[in-house]
Amino acid sequence: MSNTRLDEHRIENEPYYLTQGHEVALAEAAYRSGLPLLLKGPTGCGKTRFMQYLAWKLGRPLITVSCHDDLSTSDLVGRYLIRGGEAVWTDGPLTLAVRAGAICYLDEIVEARKDTTVVIHPLADDRRELPIEKRGELLTAPEEFMLAVSYNPGYQSVLKDLKPSTRQRFVALSFSYPDPEREAEIVAREGRVGFDVARALVKLGGMTRGLKDSGLPEGASTRLLIQAGKLMGLGIDTRSACHHGITEALTDDPELLQAIDEMVSSIF
Amino acid sequence: MNADLLKETFLSLVAPDLPNEWDVEEAVEKLAGLDEHRCHSIMNQVPVIWPVSHSLCFDYLKAAADALSCIEPVTLPIWVNRTLDQYEKNGLHSARDYMANVEENFLCPLRGEAGLAFTEVAGRLLPYLRGLSGVKLDLAAAPVVSTDTATIFVPPEISLFREGGDNFLLYKLIVTYQWAFIAQGTLTVTPPQNGNREPEPPGETLWLQEFLHSFANPVLAGDIYHLLETARITRFLEKELPGLMRRWRDLGAEGTIAAGAAACSNECMAVLRRILLEHRGDAAVWPLSVRACRAVVEEHRQARSAYDSITATTKLFPLLHALAPEYSSQAPPLFQGYLRLDAVQAARRERLAELEERFIDALATRLVNFFRRNGQSVENAESSEKLESASNLEQGVALIITGNEKQQNDPAAQTLLLTVNNEEVETGEELEDLASSIISELGYLPERYVSSAAGRAGTGYAPDQGGTDATGSGLTAPVTYDEWDFRRNDFRKSWVIVQEKELPLLHSSFVRETISRYHGQIVRLRHQFEMLRQSERFVRRQHDGEDIDLDAVLESLADARAGLAPSDRLFVRLQRDQRDIAVLFLIDMSNSTQGWVARTIKESLVLLCEALSVVGDRYGIYGFSGMRRLRSEFFHIKGMDEPYDEAARQRIGSIAPREYTRMGPAIRHATSILRRVEARTRLLITLSDGKPEDYDDYKGEYAIEDTRHALLEARAAGIHPFGITIDRQAHEYMDHMFGERNAIFIDDARKLPGRMPELYRMLTR
Repeated sequence: MSNTRLDEHRIENEPYYLTQGHEVALAEAAYRSGLPLLLKGPTGCGKTRFMQYLAWKLGRPLITVSCHDDLSTSDLVGRYLIRGGEAVWTDGPLTLAVRAGAICYLDEIVEARKDTTVVIHPLADDRRELPIEKRGELLTAPEEFMLAVSYNPGYQSVLKDLKPSTRQRFVALSFSYPDPEREAEIVAREGRVGFDVARALVKLGGMTRGLKDSGLPEGASTRLLIQAGKLMGLGIDTRSACHHGITEALTDDPELLQAIDEMVSSIF
Repeated sequence: MNADLLKETFLSLVAPDLPNEWDVEEAVEKLAGLDEHRCHSIMNQVPVIWPVSHSLCFDYLKAAADALSCIEPVTLPIWVNRTLDQYEKNGLHSARDYMANVEENFLCPLRGEAGLAFTEVAGRLLPYLRGLSGVKLDLAAAPVVSTDTATIFVPPEISLFREGGDNFLLYKLIVTYQWAFIAQGTLTVTPPQNGNREPEPPGETLWLQEFLHSFANPVLAGDIYHLLETARITRFLEKELPGLMRRWRDLGAEGTIAAGAAACSNECMAVLRRILLEHRGDAAVWPLSVRACRAVVEEHRQARSAYDSITATTKLFPLLHALAPEYSSQAPPLFQGYLRLDAVQAARRERLAELEERFIDALATRLVNFFRRNGQSVENAESSEKLESASNLEQGVALIITGNEKQQNDPAAQTLLLTVNNEEVETGEELEDLASSIISELGYLPERYVSSAAGRAGTGYAPDQGGTDATGSGLTAPVTYDEWDFRRNDFRKSWVIVQEKELPLLHSSFVRETISRYHGQIVRLRHQFEMLRQSERFVRRQHDGEDIDLDAVLESLADARAGLAPSDRLFVRLQRDQRDIAVLFLIDMSNSTQGWVARTIKESLVLLCEALSVVGDRYGIYGFSGMRRLRSEFFHIKGMDEPYDEAARQRIGSIAPREYTRMGPAIRHATSILRRVEARTRLLITLSDGKPEDYDDYKGEYAIEDTRHALLEARAAGIHPFGITIDRQAHEYMDHMFGERNAIFIDDARKLPGRMPELYRMLTR
């Protein structure tokens, strides 16, 4: 049964990913040494895409868990379910990944409560073990298994930070928005727009990223730029594509909305 | 209405004030001829203006009769409001001027005919500029357009076009051009450095200024250079921001004329402006007068940097100087603005001074830390061999900037190495950033920065040791707040000054005595409050959960056997009820609490703190009092994240009745504190003994309405306000101020210590 579940997580086709530096080589080295990965960077800059690419490149299934503050240990490890009058154990995503030697990616790990995140501790050091208390089982991860977590240092509050004991187990890769040329290439390809339009979109993205002091904690991500590009590709006119695809997605503040629209009208 | 009646009405309106009768008579003189309806509508505004300024009120009465000749009595309150805005912003003179011309100042903007004011667009223009530049540039209104590289000055109002949108476009264009001047180095141009020549360290004066002064007519040279740069920037913007430039072109010739490109009395210059700024790519017809300039201008079309414009200026100057020997300064096109190199220089000097201070500070801190870590006490070394060690220290510290020759102009490619006595010390990001900013500004890192930092480190200077001020003094810079005037239905702008202060400490055994007196009650309270603590409990019969609920499984199996529909709620889930609460207690410290009221308030605070220490909610305690709008005081007793320690206990003991109860500003200040706290529930609990009241006109309906409005503002910020009042009887105003069921009155202060923790428990359950 678990095989069919696992097959859904295999990535068959090469995901589009443009390398920014030597992050792929680093991640591969970490994989070969059995070290877990920590990806940090702003929203929509390509962390998840990078994981997909890595999974494809390593030929391992990728099991992604989006963390939230109600995520419990059982949600990760597994639980007993009642089926036809019998209690049946069902593996959680983490256990599934460990058994199958897949890559388990915990997205936005700081969103999960701290007591939940400690279950990954024995997995994330040289023991590479996952104790399943309810079954009295101790799983040892095969060589193919990899643990990866991500978080966004930008909008974390004081309450949401990784504990040092958690973070000091990882090989950390820091992601940021690609440089303008590369970003334009990505936007052009993913958003299916011309290179000139992509470059203008990237310029707009760069401008919104300079508004930190004016009340915009995070500027337009590459993902948003691609989104606007896609809308344009489908015949939505430039200004409304930018307005609905970027401006409105960034803020509710009326003055900032106007200011960003002014940037749009200046660029296009 | 006759003058006597008017005077009487006026005096009754401003009572209990007793203004000089002559002033009143003079002021109402003009109104005597008006009909009753008009007089009433004019008099109705007196209570709005009188408390703000008496002189303004007299001026108003004098001007109102004329004003009513062109505005309807129903719009009179709006006119008064605008006048008051004017007064609060720019003072009495400005308000008088405003009243003097009703048509132009009031009616035109009201009909939407007037231009666009900077204040209307600043909120949209500033983020636009910040986004454009990516650095913290500022905007300000000024009579002429210019920039000093830190601030861009734009006109206070633009009314060249009928359409507000077109006026805004011009604002945007001005800002964009001025930004481009900064970003493209128009004002900070320097000659390119020759490979084989030793680069001259840029001096303290602007190179451009020296360059322009080397000409026979610096004004002409400046105008030529600026015009050439504007032409270059125009091409740059055509490429960078095509949307903006297209929209500008769409305005057509009208736009160019409006921007003043043609407004130039010097013919040669006017022709050049037209050629350079209106050129649309086709071969322009070169008039005979300036044909000599053609080659240079054509060549300048390929200009890539500000220095190319410098070269072109050198070539153009003799030609134009011969054509117009008597050249004097001309009004530039609006978006180009003026070159104000002195201001650029001043801004640069300011920026450098700030950088220098921060750099020396950061470096000194690093050195002090370095010595501490290495067990070398700078202070000790100094005391034994004072002079020698200090000078040794200076000699031992060196900053080395590495980076190969080619990268010399790129500060990012350079590495900063700090060595002390030939030992490398980590520099840190901040220091590196500062150093690279200084290098990009000056071209080099002055030696004296390093030596003064070493000197400062040698004297044991450590900036993080900044001690707290003496008691009773200000904690932070005073903050101004608006105050709500219900008669005006608008805010009095920046009306109150709130100063956060530390309470003067009184050493007393108050807290200890209270704890021992209420010992039994405290034990009971603690027990009650423990129940409120973040609880984890298992909830049974859930659809989903960590574990199987065996009872439910058994039951459902039995049900299934018996042929009943089995339940699918078979799990146990661990439910976490997180308390994520932040509370701010705002204590009325007015004079009226004198005696046992103040004492019971303090006692209930002690009880509450004891109880709260069990729950773990975040809470802060602040007191307020003051006198008049310019001295509203806000006392720090316990900050939101401070522990309930001995110091906090001492401060609770020091709470004492002081002056008046100006509640609105205190609530606004408390709101601003709570706004910074992240919590699911934020509570603002006000503890007072009666109506808000201050020594000035802050009383009665005005005070209640302002407090009510401040509470509404708090509510809008996501804060739940709650009021506790100690009074002999319930008052209707309480419900009006706090909103129904958000306030409670306690008729006997002695009940307060018992009631307050109970109330808190109810509120946060």
